[in-house]
Amino acid sequence: MLNPKSLKFFWGIATFPLLILLWVGKVNADTSFKGEVAPFFEAYCVKCHGPKKSKGKITLHSLDGDLAAGQELKRWELILDALEHRDMPPEEEENQPSAEDRAAIITWIESGLRDYVTKASKVALVTTTRRLTNFEYQNTMRDLLGFELELAKDLPVDPDKPYHFNNTAEFMMIGPDQLVRYKEAARKAMASAIVDPGKPEIHRVSSKWEHGKPGKDGLSQAEIGVYQGPGVGRKTVGLKNWPKTGEFRIRVNASGNFPAGFREVPLRLVMGTDLRHDSGSGVYREVGIVHLSNTPDNPGEFEVLGRIENIPVQPASKHRNKIRPPSITITAQNIFDNGELNDHRKSAFDASWSVKAPRVVLESLEFEAPVAAAWPPEHHRRILFESPLRHTKTGEYAYEVIKRFMTRAFRRPVAKDEIDHYYRIYKIYDAEFDTLEQAMRETLAMALISPQFLYHTVIDQAAATKPYELASRLSYFLWGSMPDKELFNLAASGNLDDPAVIENQTRRLLADKRAAGFIENFTSQWLSIAKMKTVSINRDLFPRFLYTVHVGERRGQEQLFRPTIRDYMHEETVGFVGELIRNNASVMNIVDSDFAYLNEPLAVHYGVGGVEGLKLRPVTIKPEHHLGGLLTQGSVLVGNSTGSAPHPIYRAVWVREAILGDKVKPPPAEVPALSDSAGDSADGAVSIKDLLALHRNTPSCYDCHVRLDPWGIPFERYSAIGKFQPLVPSDKVRVRGFNHKLDKTFAGYQAYLKSIYTEEVDASSRVPHGPAVDGMQKLKKYLLKERKAEIAENVIRKLMTYSIGRELTYRDRFEVKKLLQLAQEDGYKLQDMIVSVCQSPIFTGTISKEE
Amino acid sequence: MKQKSWHINRREFIRGGGAVLALPFLQGMSWGKAAAGKALPKRMVVSYIAYGVYEPKTKDGSHHDWNWWPCKDAGPLTFNQSAAPFAPLKDSVSYLRGLEHAGGVGMGGHSSGDVFATGANMSGTEKTNNISVDQLAAKVSGHQTRYASLVLGTEGGTGSYGSAKTLSHYGPGRPIPSMHRPQEIFNRLFKPYSGKGIEQVRADLKREASVLDLMMEDSRRLQGRLGKEDQQKMEEYLDSVRALEKRVERTSQWTHQPLSNVDTKGLNLEVSHKDPEEYTRCMYDLLYLALQTDSTRFATLMLESEHSSGSEMWNYANYVLGYKGATHDIAHKRPTESGKWDNWRAKQHAYFLERLRNTPEGDSNMLDQTVVVWGSAHPHASHNTRNYPIQVAGGDALGFKHGNLYCFEGDRKVPLANLFVSMLHAVDVPVKSFADSTGSMAGVLV
Repeated sequence: MLNPKSLKFFWGIATFPLLILLWVGKVNADTSFKGEVAPFFEAYCVKCHGPKKSKGKITLHSLDGDLAAGQELKRWELILDALEHRDMPPEEEENQPSAEDRAAIITWIESGLRDYVTKASKVALVTTTRRLTNFEYQNTMRDLLGFELELAKDLPVDPDKPYHFNNTAEFMMIGPDQLVRYKEAARKAMASAIVDPGKPEIHRVSSKWEHGKPGKDGLSQAEIGVYQGPGVGRKTVGLKNWPKTGEFRIRVNASGNFPAGFREVPLRLVMGTDLRHDSGSGVYREVGIVHLSNTPDNPGEFEVLGRIENIPVQPASKHRNKIRPPSITITAQNIFDNGELNDHRKSAFDASWSVKAPRVVLESLEFEAPVAAAWPPEHHRRILFESPLRHTKTGEYAYEVIKRFMTRAFRRPVAKDEIDHYYRIYKIYDAEFDTLEQAMRETLAMALISPQFLYHTVIDQAAATKPYELASRLSYFLWGSMPDKELFNLAASGNLDDPAVIENQTRRLLADKRAAGFIENFTSQWLSIAKMKTVSINRDLFPRFLYTVHVGERRGQEQLFRPTIRDYMHEETVGFVGELIRNNASVMNIVDSDFAYLNEPLAVHYGVGGVEGLKLRPVTIKPEHHLGGLLTQGSVLVGNSTGSAPHPIYRAVWVREAILGDKVKPPPAEVPALSDSAGDSADGAVSIKDLLALHRNTPSCYDCHVRLDPWGIPFERYSAIGKFQPLVPSDKVRVRGFNHKLDKTFAGYQAYLKSIYTEEVDASSRVPHGPAVDGMQKLKKYLLKERKAEIAENVIRKLMTYSIGRELTYRDRFEVKKLLQLAQEDGYKLQDMIVSVCQSPIFTGTISKEE
Repeated sequence: MKQKSWHINRREFIRGGGAVLALPFLQGMSWGKAAAGKALPKRMVVSYIAYGVYEPKTKDGSHHDWNWWPCKDAGPLTFNQSAAPFAPLKDSVSYLRGLEHAGGVGMGGHSSGDVFATGANMSGTEKTNNISVDQLAAKVSGHQTRYASLVLGTEGGTGSYGSAKTLSHYGPGRPIPSMHRPQEIFNRLFKPYSGKGIEQVRADLKREASVLDLMMEDSRRLQGRLGKEDQQKMEEYLDSVRALEKRVERTSQWTHQPLSNVDTKGLNLEVSHKDPEEYTRCMYDLLYLALQTDSTRFATLMLESEHSSGSEMWNYANYVLGYKGATHDIAHKRPTESGKWDNWRAKQHAYFLERLRNTPEGDSNMLDQTVVVWGSAHPHASHNTRNYPIQVAGGDALGFKHGNLYCFEGDRKVPLANLFVSMLHAVDVPVKSFADSTGSMAGVLV
C-alpha cells in the first residue's frame, strides 16, 4: 500500500494548502526578495529582530535573500516555521500581515529552500558515523552471542538529554575510557560464550518448606505473605558455590492460598546480594515472575532460567575475625499489589494483612547450574562449530571460525584483508595459549572492540554492498540490535531496497518480540518520562501512592526491592504506544483514546474498576474516568509535577515538545525565577495560575511565558500523582497531611480531604492563536480539531530522527511533508507511518536524484 | 606512609622541555631506585555542588546565620551556622567571592556546571568544552603516579552538552566519563590486576601492546576507505586506541611498583543513593585513599549535577532532611531547609578535609600538600551564573595562605581562571594562562 508510486500520487494531488503553495512556488516569480520579502521583514519583524533589538538572538535585517548560495539556511527555516505556525509576529502585536502576504512570503522562502535542497542533495546527504548506544550494544551482544549477558551496566552511562534521542553522532562519542570498558566487556562476553573443554561441575542447592499448620502469624512454614519491607513477605535461599559462567535454572513448587475474592498471586524471584532494608543497600536482578492461580491441592512446578554472570554477588567480608565467603541470595517474594497496601495500617506493620491477602505457598525451590541441553552448549558450538578440520588443519579451522564470527559481528560480509588481520592477532595468542578456546576468546574479543563492530554499519566498499547498511539500519531502528538471518539474506540477494520488501520487513520486525526494546527506548526518550521515577512524592499529602516502610531506620521511606506504581506507570505508557503500533491504530490516540493500558494497582489509582492482577492490558474506559491518550497518564503527570502539586510549566513544556514538536528554550540566564514553584499552592498559599500571571507581568519573562503557560493550565485538574482532582481547598485552608491519630485509615483521610476540597480548580486558559479551553477534555478536543497536522508531523519527525540517528535539518523538510501528506491520506495509522519512514529516501540513504 | 622518590627533578625537566603543552607523555622516564631528594606529592582536587547555595539577607544588615558564605565582610573568617562544619579548619580554608567563568555566563545556571573546571567559552567562541584544570595537571605531572588522574561523579558517565555529569575533559570534545559506583572505583584503583600474578599481568600487557598495534593498523586502513565526515569520527576512535596503547605501556611500567595494600575495611562499597551520607562519605573515602596511597594526585568529584531529575540525587534533600520536594526545588524555594541543606553538604566536605588534615605527611599533613576547590557554577536561586560560591582549602605547603574571605568585586574583579592558574603553579605546572585568566592569585591567596 505504501510505496513510492503512491507517494508520488499523493504528491500530485496534494490538497494540503501549504503544499499547493509550495508547488506553485517555483513559477511564482512575482515575489522577489527586494520587492516583497525585505519590505515585509521591515514592516513586521525588524523592530524586534533587527539592529536595535535581537530577541531570541534572531535578526532579519542582515539577510541578503540569496538562498541558492546555501548561506543562513537554518535561520531561514526558523523564520519559515515561525511564519507558518503563526508564532510570529506575536499575537498581541497590533501590526499583523494579511494572510495573503504571509502566504506569499512562506511560498517564497520555501521554494528557495527547496531549490537549494534539491541541488545540494545531489552533492551529499549521509548519516554521520556513530557508535552503538549502550542499549544497542547490549542487544547486539545478546543476538550475536545467543544469550543475554548484562554488559552495558559496566559501560559509562550514556548521555541523556530531555526531549532528545541520545543515538546521534553528537552524543555517541568514544574516548579511551569508553574503549577500556568495551575491551573488558568483550572479554567477559567471550569468556562466557566459549566454554572450556570437558564437562563442567554441576552445582545444586534445594530447599523445602512444610505447608502444614499455620504458625503464630497465621501463615504456614511454606506460606509467603505480601511483601512489605523488612523481613516480611519473602523466603531466601543462599548460594555458596556456583559456576563462573553458564545458564542456571530455578525450579519451584508453588501455588496460591486465596481468601475469598482473590484469584491470583504473583511470585517473584530475585537474586543478588543481601537486601538490607535498614540501610537500603543491596543489588539484585529479577529472574522471573510467576502469576499463580493454582491452589495448594494442585501444586504446580515452575521453572525460570537465567545467566549466572548477571547476578550480583555479595563479596566476601570479615566479621569479628570470621571470614564470610562470597554469596548469592535467591529471594522469593509475594509482590501482590491491589493498590491498597498502605490503607489498612497504623504505624507499625499490620500482620493481619498477610492473612487477609492472597499468599504464595512455596513448597520447594531448587537451583542448578550450569544447565544445557548438550555440552558444549549451543552458543559455544555456534562459534567453535563442529568440524573434522579442527584437529587436522587447525589453522584453516581457526580462519573459518574468525570469518564466520566477524561476518555476524560486522553485520556484513568481510574482506579478505579484514580476516587476515584477525588471523594475525590469533597467531599472537595461539603462540602463547594452551588451547584453541583461550586463543579464540582473546582474538574474537578484539573483533568486538573494532570500529566495525562498535560503530553503526558503514559499508566499506571493498567488503560489501550497500543493502547491508540498510539491513542494519532497519534492525537498529526497530530492534535496537543487529539484523537477523532473513535481513542478511535479503541484503545478499540485493532486493532489500524494494519498497514492498521494506514494507514487509518493517511489519515483520515490528511483530517480533525484539521490537519491545525499540518501543521502550523510543517512547521513553520521545516523551522524556524517565524523570517520573525520581520526583520526590509528598507522602503526607499522598499517603497511598508509595508503599512505605513502617518500622526501623528507614521508616516512612519508600519500600525497596519491589516493583512500584511508578514502574507500572512507565510500563503503562510504553505499553500504550506498543498497542498503537501493533494494532496500526491512529496516532491521534496519543491525544485521546477509548482505552487505557492498565493493571490492578494502576486501575485502582485512576479509579477504574474491574481490573485484576499485575499484568498490564488494554482496558476500555469511560468519560467519567477522565483518561485516554498520553496526556493523562501518570508517567507524564507525575514526571511533570513537583511531587506535591501540578507544575503547569513542566506540563506545558511537555505538550509543546513531546506532542506538538516545538523546541522550548530553557529559562535564560539572568532572569528571576518564578518566585516559588507550585508546592506552596498545594499547601494553600496562592494559586499557581496567579503566580504565573505575576511572573508573566515581568517584561523579561513575558515573551516566553505567554506562549508557554496556557498549555499547562488545562492540566491543573490532575494532581501531582496523576489523579483527576477537580476540587481543591480554598485559599484560606491549609491541607494537613495524613495523620494516623486523626484519620485512622486512608478512608478517614479521604473523608477529611473531601470535607475541605470545596473550590473548583481553575483550569481555563486561552491557547496561543486558539480558543479558550477549560480543562483537559477541551484541550484534547482543540488539539484534535486544529492541531492534527502538527501532531502527526511531530511523530513523523521523532520517528525519523530516532531511525537515522541525527537531527533533521531544513534539507529533510520536504520529505517530511511528503510523509505527512501520506499519513493524512492514511488516517494517521502509526504502523503505516513507521513503514513510510523506512521507505523514505532519508532513511534508505538513496535521496532521489530525479528532481 | 612511605614516601616516594623520583629519579628526575621535575622542575629541571620542564625547563628543559620548553612549552609545557608540548611535553610528551613522559613515558620514557624510568622508575629508578635511587632517591633524589624527598619531594612530597603535590595534589589538586576539584569538587562540585549543584543547584546553587542559600544566600539570604537579614533586615538589619547583619550576616544571616544560614547564608552559605561564612561571614559578611572581607578579612579573617568567622563562621555562621551554615558554614560551621569548617570552623575547625579555619586556618586551612579561604572563601573567594565575586569569581566566575565569563564563558559560562550565557549558558544558564543549569548548564554552566559544564565549564566549572574548564572555563571554556562555550556560550561564545568555543563549540565544545575544553581541557579541565585537573587534566592539564595530569598531562604534565600525571606520570608520577599509577593513575594520571581520578574522575569521580555521583551519576556517572559524561552527560551531554549543557548537562555534564563529569568535571573533567581531556580536551575539546573529549569529556571523561565519571565513575560513580564505589565497588568499581575501588577495584579499578586497588585491584587492577583482578587477582592475576604479576608475571602473567606483564605477559598479558606485552601481548596486548602488539595486538593494539595491529588494531591501530587495521583501523587506519578502514579510515582510509571512508568518506570525509566519517573519517573525522574515526579519528576519535584512533585517538582512543592510541591512548590505550599508552596506558598499556604505563601499566607495564607500574607493574614494577608494588600495589598499594588497601582493604575494604570501613568501606561500605555496596552503599546506595538511598543513604546519601553513607554514599557521599564513601566517595570521599575512596578519593582520600587514592590520594593517600599516592595512586593519583589530581582528581575531580562531581557531587551533584545540574540536571539530576533522572537520578536519585533528585531525592537527596528528601532523604537527608525529609524535605518535601526535589533537591532542585530547595534552591528555588529557599525554605528554611535550604540552609540546613548547605550545612549538610558542608559537613560532608569538611569530613574529607579533616581526613586529609589528620593524616601526617612530611613535617605536616596531607591537606597542606593538597589544594582543594569546592563550589558551584550555579550560585543561587535565579539561574544566575555570576559570583560563584567558591571555597579553597589546603595546599599551605604549596604556597596557599588561608583564613580569610576575599572579595573580588568592583574594580578588584578577576576571572575565576586566575585561581586555576595559581593551582596549576602550586602543582608544578608553570602555565602562563588558563582559559580566560588575566593573571594569577599571586599576592592575594598565594
